[in-house]
Amino acid sequence: MYEIRMPKFGLTMEKGYIERWFKKEGEFVNKGDSLLEVSSDKITNEVISPVSGILLEILGQEGDEYPVGQIIAVIGDKNEEFLLERRQGKEKSEGSLTKQPQSQDIESTKKMTGPINKSDIKASPLAKKMAKEYGITLSQIPGSGPGGRITREDILSFLNKQKTEDFKIIKLSGLRKTIIERLSQSFHQAITLTNSTEVDFTQLKNQTKDRRVSITSGIIFLLCKTLLTLKQFNSHFEKGVLKEYNIINIGLATDTERGLVVPVIKNAHKLGLNEIQESIKNLSDRAKANKLTESELTHSTFTITNLGKMRTDFFTPVLNPPEVAILGVGRIIKKPCVIDEDKIAIRDMAYLSLSYDHRVIDGADAARFLDLIVQYIEKPKLK
Amino acid sequence: MKVITFSEALGETILEEMERDHTIFTYGEDIGKQGGIFGAYKSLLGKFPDRIFDTPISEEVIYGSALGAALVGMRPIVEFHFADFLFTGIQSITLQIEKIRYMTGGQGKLHLILRGPDGVSNSAAAQHSESIETIFMHVPGIKIIIPSTPYDIKGLLKTALRSNDPVICFEHKSLYAQKGEVPEEEYLIPFGKADIKRPGQDITVVTMSRMVHESLKAAQELEKEGINLEVIDLRTLVPWDKETVIKSVQKTNRLIIAHETWRRAGWGAEIASTIQEEAFDFLDAPIIRIGARNVPMPFSPVLQNYVTPDKHNVVTAAKQLMEGI
Repeated sequence: MYEIRMPKFGLTMEKGYIERWFKKEGEFVNKGDSLLEVSSDKITNEVISPVSGILLEILGQEGDEYPVGQIIAVIGDKNEEFLLERRQGKEKSEGSLTKQPQSQDIESTKKMTGPINKSDIKASPLAKKMAKEYGITLSQIPGSGPGGRITREDILSFLNKQKTEDFKIIKLSGLRKTIIERLSQSFHQAITLTNSTEVDFTQLKNQTKDRRVSITSGIIFLLCKTLLTLKQFNSHFEKGVLKEYNIINIGLATDTERGLVVPVIKNAHKLGLNEIQESIKNLSDRAKANKLTESELTHSTFTITNLGKMRTDFFTPVLNPPEVAILGVGRIIKKPCVIDEDKIAIRDMAYLSLSYDHRVIDGADAARFLDLIVQYIEKPKLK
Repeated sequence: MKVITFSEALGETILEEMERDHTIFTYGEDIGKQGGIFGAYKSLLGKFPDRIFDTPISEEVIYGSALGAALVGMRPIVEFHFADFLFTGIQSITLQIEKIRYMTGGQGKLHLILRGPDGVSNSAAAQHSESIETIFMHVPGIKIIIPSTPYDIKGLLKTALRSNDPVICFEHKSLYAQKGEVPEEEYLIPFGKADIKRPGQDITVVTMSRMVHESLKAAQELEKEGINLEVIDLRTLVPWDKETVIKSVQKTNRLIIAHETWRRAGWGAEIASTIQEEAFDFLDAPIIRIGARNVPMPFSPVLQNYVTPDKHNVVTAAKQLMEGI
C-alpha cells in the first residue's frame, strides 16, 4: 500500500488546493501517470503517481485545501482491494450513489450488498409527498429523524444542496484575497477621478523599435521624467499624511494566469532605457513563473497599467494604495490624424487614462500631467 | 372588559339567562344552600330561590326529571356534582337524553344542560377525580362543551342555553378560581369553533380544559429553547373544529394531543385518527397523545402526580418531536 500525500512545491508552500482528479477510485494507475492537479497560492502542478497499482481510496476532495504532507489518496495492489470493497460497501449502506466498480471481485460484493430495498426506507408522510412532488428518490437522502426517518428538513436540505450544485464555489487564492483587499481599500477611501487624452505614439514606437526595446520601456522612461517634474504624483497618501518621494519606484501591473500582480521597478528614475527594458523582462518572467519575492512586489510610488496590446482604448484604472495616481495606457492603433499644417496622416494613436486621488490632486494638475507626458511621448528624447 | 373568576362568569351567565328566559331553572346536589361544592354557584346564593334548588342524592331521578322537564318545554340546567357521578345515572343520559330527539324524528326538542366539575383535585382519589368526556363523545346524541376560561364558559353556556339539543358541560375543578377578562356586553361563542390560545409554527398542540393552561406553560418554557407551540383549545368536543386543527397541522406538520383523561382510547385517539386520515401528507412525525396513565386515580399525592399529565409531559413530547430523542 502506498500513500499519496499533499506535495510541497516550494519552500513557502504550506497547503495545497486540489483542482481535479484525473483518476477515479478503483481505477488502475501506472507509475508516471498524472493522478491529480494541485495548486498552491503561487503555482499549479500535476502530481505524478510514484507507483503502479489500484487507486484504492481518494481522501482529498476536489475543491478542498489540505496541508502539505496530508494523505490525499491510497494506492495498493490487487490483494489490497478489500480496502476499496469495504469502503464501497459502507457507502452503499449509507445510501450514497453507487460507483461503477471495475473488477469482478467488486461486482460480486455489489451483488451481495444488493440495492436498497424500497420498503427499508423510513420517511414521514410529508417527506414522501414532497419527494414525489420534487421527483426525488428517497434512497438518495439520509434521514435525520428518529430511527433514520427522512423528514421535511432532510428533503429541504437535499433540495438546497442540489441548488448549490448548479454552480461551484471558487476558493479564493491568497493572491486574489490580497487584490480584493487592496482594491476595496482604494475604492472606499480614495476619491478617484480619471482624466483621458489621446496621444500620438508614432515617434516613440519608431524610436523604441530602433533601440530594440518595448514601447512600455519607453513609456516608463518618459513617465519618470514627468514624475521628476510633477513630484506630487509620485506620492503616498495614508492616514492623512502626504509623502512626496524623491525616488521613483514604478509598479508595473502585470497580467498572469493567476491574476494581477504588480512587480516594482526600483529607482526607475536612475535607470537608462535598456536597464528598464531588462528590469521589465526579468520581473515579468518571474511574475509569470510565480517566483517574485516579497520585496519585488512592494514599495511602488507610482503604478502604470499598460493595455497597449489589448482591446481597450480608455479605462478607469483603480489606484494602488497608498499611491495617489496610476497611469493607464490604452490600445495603440493606426488612425487618420490631422497633423502639422492641416494634413491628414496615418499615425499610431492611443489614449492615456490617468486616475488620481482627488483628495490630494486637482483636476487641473491631472491635465498638466497629461499635457507634459504627451509632449514627452510625441517628441521623445530617450537619453 | 372586567376581570372575574370562572365561577363568577358561570353565575352571571345563569342569572342573565334566567332573567331573559323564564323556562330556565337549575338544580342538583348542594347548590341551592351551599353554592356548589367548588363554589360554582356562590354568586347565585339567595337569587331565584324557586328556580335554583337542591335535590336528594339520586342521579337517576335528577337526570330523568330533567329529561321530562325539557320535553314539556322547560330548560333545566342540571348540576352533576362530580363528573364521576354521571355513571350512577348514566342510563338516563345515554339511553334517553341522547336518543329522544333522534327517536322522535326530531319532533321533541331537548334543551337541557348537564354541567358540573370534573378532573383531578388534591387527593380526591378514584371516584372524584375523573374526566369522562370521551364517553359522551363516543355515544352519539349530546354536545360537549369544555371551557377553559371565564370568557369561554360564558360565551359557550349562552349558546347552549339557546340551542334545542342536550348539552353537557365539563368544568375542571382547578378552573373555578381562575380569573380572566369578560366583556361587559353580551356575546355568544358558536359550537365547533376552536380558539388558538397561542399561535406558533413548530408543533400543534390540541387540548382542552386544564391541559390548555399546562400546554401554555410548556410553550413558554419551550420558547426559550426555540420550539414554538401552537396551542389550540377545542372548547367544544362535539362538534370539534377539525378545520382549525388541519389548517394548523398543515403549517406545523407535527401534532400533540393533550388531555387529562386516560390516554387509552381517550378523545385524543379520535383526533389523531382523523388527522392521519385527512391530513396524512402533511405529517412529518408521528402524532403524540398525552393523557393520564391507565389506572383509577390514586389517593397518594405522589402517585396522583405520577398518573396525571401536566406541562412536563408536553415539554417532553415536544422535544421528542423536534429532536427525535
